[in-house]
Order: sequence, then structure tokens, then C-alpha cells
Amino acid sequence: MNTGPNGRRTSRPARPAPGHRLRRLALYARSRAVPATVAALVCAALLTVWMASRQDTYLDPYRRVPLVALAPLLAAAATGASLHTHSPELDGTSVRRWWPRRLAHLLIVGALAATLLALAVPGHVQEFGAAAMVRNTLGAIGITAGGAVLVGARLSWMPTTLYFSAVYLSASSPRVNNATVVGWLMQPGPQHGAWAAALALFVTGTALCAARGARPEGPRV
Amino acid sequence: MNRPDTTAVPPLGGAAHPTGTPDGHGLGGSGDTAVRVSGDTAVRVSGLTVRHRRTTALDGVDLDFGLGVHGLLGPNGAGKTSLVRVLATVARPTAGCVELLGGDLRGHRERVTVRRELGYLPQDFGYYPGFTVREFVAYVAWLKELPGAETDAAVERAVTRVGLADRIDAKVKTLSGGMIRRVGIAQAIVNDPRLLLLDEPTAGLDPEQRVEFRALLRELGRTATVIVSTHLVEDVAAACTEVTLLEAGRVAYRGTPGSLAALGADGHESDGNAIERGYTTALRGHRAATGAGR
Repeated sequence: MNTGPNGRRTSRPARPAPGHRLRRLALYARSRAVPATVAALVCAALLTVWMASRQDTYLDPYRRVPLVALAPLLAAAATGASLHTHSPELDGTSVRRWWPRRLAHLLIVGALAATLLALAVPGHVQEFGAAAMVRNTLGAIGITAGGAVLVGARLSWMPTTLYFSAVYLSASSPRVNNATVVGWLMQPGPQHGAWAAALALFVTGTALCAARGARPEGPRV
Repeated sequence: MNRPDTTAVPPLGGAAHPTGTPDGHGLGGSGDTAVRVSGDTAVRVSGLTVRHRRTTALDGVDLDFGLGVHGLLGPNGAGKTSLVRVLATVARPTAGCVELLGGDLRGHRERVTVRRELGYLPQDFGYYPGFTVREFVAYVAWLKELPGAETDAAVERAVTRVGLADRIDAKVKTLSGGMIRRVGIAQAIVNDPRLLLLDEPTAGLDPEQRVEFRALLRELGRTATVIVSTHLVEDVAAACTEVTLLEAGRVAYRGTPGSLAALGADGHESDGNAIERGYTTALRGHRAATGAGR
């Protein structure tokens, strides 16, 4: 028990029992549609497996380029949607700090997405394989998390889609194709500049979203 | 925690109240008879200013609220919701000082302490469609850091008080608008708050539910400071101990519902009941005094 500013005893609880903690964790996860997000990630991974199972895709690494661009985009969109809260006003009166939960949320969902998609893509890891998939997934989630802060969770897929589309469509340009930082998502795998760009986006977006939260949506008086 | 006697008032939507309902008195009835406890000021705001971009929602407001039920009245855009959101610690004021339950809101520690004893029903509280009533109220109990061992009982008590005990395991999305509003009231009282802020709580409730809700309000007002923002002057007349009328971000009138009703007694308006005429008279008087037209 704690003492409030007026000297009244307030009911700050002791550590909850494991059963209570699990139930509360489950409530939080369901409030953020985490089960649906995980289902969407599994679907994205299965879609990747199916698309990558064609022989020409397996043999020619450049045929996997659409996969390592599209699958992370889907995963990032699902992750962004899970940042939405239906009750921003009530969440705003929470006794709890939100940033540790948002940070854990993004790190756990991000790790799950990267792992599932890395396992789904075949071929040599250094030629549009698992490494490129992990890098693109982290970068996409970073942009989406930052987008959620700017435009709200439900539209957070838009900045990522715009960026991915722009880089993908201009990939034939040698300037973009050779620019490992700007065109990081089109690099085959181990390029340091591409990894640095993707990781910087992931760290920045995740930190921003953890600190600020997704922009509230709906009417505000 | 100070837990009110839940048997004192029948739940909303529950069995009909026996004859001589608490809501049976006339306009200003409760306001005239209830005693305002001024020694226990739970809310004190001074020079409170809130701006939304170019619009000034509250303009240097000074107010204090003690134990009891306080009605916030005013036309659309008067600043009622802005005031409630600041008191709920959801919005930060542009200027001014806010003191809740003896704590200044500027520090995080004080804000957290206040939030533990705060209940809040926003206009749109945004329920989770997949949650049952029990789960949604438990979620808010979790937000308030209610001890896990107490949560189940607190949730059931709050849901029973709003008359939804028989629907506690129903999905919120399957409920009617009035029932959803009662779920909102249940989440606001799950932690037995000392400061309860309700923004348009009776919107969507049918007349019988409103009568029962007013009884619940009066009961809550015995142990807590309850601030009700509403357009419905009859709710204020029947349930509030004090009324504050806001207009264009300023306090236009403060008094009891009875005194507000008395203002209308000498007016030339023939429409509406006494408190509606008093409301109109006070509003027009304030506009005339400040030179504000509509």
C-alpha cells in the first residue's frame, strides 16, 4: 500500500499472482488484436512459402526480390494495425506507463515476424534469402511504427507501402540499385549500408512509437 | 478503500424502485436539500486555459468542487469536455493550475496517484468489440492497477451496480447502445473512485434507466466528488448538488439547481420547465454582461 498526496492510503498492489498476471497479459494482447496479428504473420509466411516453392524462384535469386519486398510489407501492416487502441481516452488515464508495453509489443511482434519470414524464404541466405528478409522486415516495421505515430495505427501501412513501392519501381535505375542506403530493401543480403539503414529505421521507429504511442484516431473535442 | 454500500440503490435496469423513488422529487429538489461539503475540496483549478490550435476552449477558469454531484452545463463548444479531459489527466492545460485530490498534476508521480482514484467516462469510451462486459471492465481495473485478487469482485460489483449482472459474460458488441453506456459507467466506478468524471453519461439511456442512474449518482456523490457534464438539465435538477454553467470557455453561472431554476421564475420565457428557463436566463445574462452574441 502507498500513501497518496492527501495522506490517504491508496491500493497499490503487491506483485500479482502468476495466474492474474497471465490473465492481464492475455487481456492486453487481445485488446491490441495480437492473436489476429500473429495469424496474419503466419499467413504471410505461408504465402511466402507457397510463392517461393516454384522452381524458378528457388534457382534464380532475383525472382525472390518481390517476395522479400512484399512479405515484410504485409508483416509490417499487420504489426501496425496491432498498435491501434479502441479506447485511447481510457488508456490515457492508466496508472501504468505505456512505453515499456509498447516497446515489448514491437520487439516481440517484430522478432516473431522476422523469424517466421526468414524461415519461409528458401535459397542462399546471402542472395535475397533469410538475411534480406530479416533486414527488410525490421526496416518495414520501423517505418510502420514511425508512421503510426504520425498518421495513426490504422493508416500506418501507408508510408511503408509508399516507400517500398517507390524503391521497388525505381529499382531498375542504377542510382537506386547501387545506393545501398536509399535502396536498402533491394540489396541481396549482407551489404552493410543496407543493414545500417534498415536497423536505423527499426530503432528510430520503435523508439518513437514506444515513447509517443500511435496517434489517436477518431473525433476529438 | 472506501466502498459504498451497494445495496443502497437498486441497479440500473434492475427491478423497479419502490414507491417514493429517489428521483421523485421536483426540479432542484436534491440541489436544495443536499449539503455541499466545502471543507473537502477534491478539485481546484485556477486560471485554467485550454487552447486547441486557434480555438480557446477554456479561458482562465477558476473552479473548485467538493464532495457531491456537480453538474456541468453549457451549450455545444462551451468547454465542458475540455474541462473534463483536463481533470481526467488526459489533456494538458495550456495554462493554469490543476489540483486534484490534494495533488498537483504537474508531476508524474502525483498524476499516477490521482489516476488510481479517478473514474472517467468519456463521451466515446471506445470499447473492445471482442471483449465481454467482464473482460472490458477487468481491462480498466488493470489500467487502474487494482490488485489482482480484488479485481473479480470489483468487476462484478461495478457491473451489478449498473444493472448488467445478467449480461456480464455477453460480448460488448452484442449489447444495445444504452447497455454499452452502462458498461462505460461500470468501468468508471470499478475502482470505487474518489473523483468520478462523467461526460454525457445518460446519452442513450431510456427514461427508466436515467431515473435509476440518477439514484446511482446520488449514492456515489455521498462518498465521492462526481462531476457530470451533460446537456440534460433535468439530470442536473434531479441528481446534482451544484451546477456550473459554462459558456464560451468561461463560467457563466454557479449555484444549486434550485437557485438556477429560481432564475427562470421571473423570466418571460414560457417554454420548458423552471430549470430550463433558468438555464436560458443565466446564459443570456452572461452573454449580455460579456457582450458575447450568438
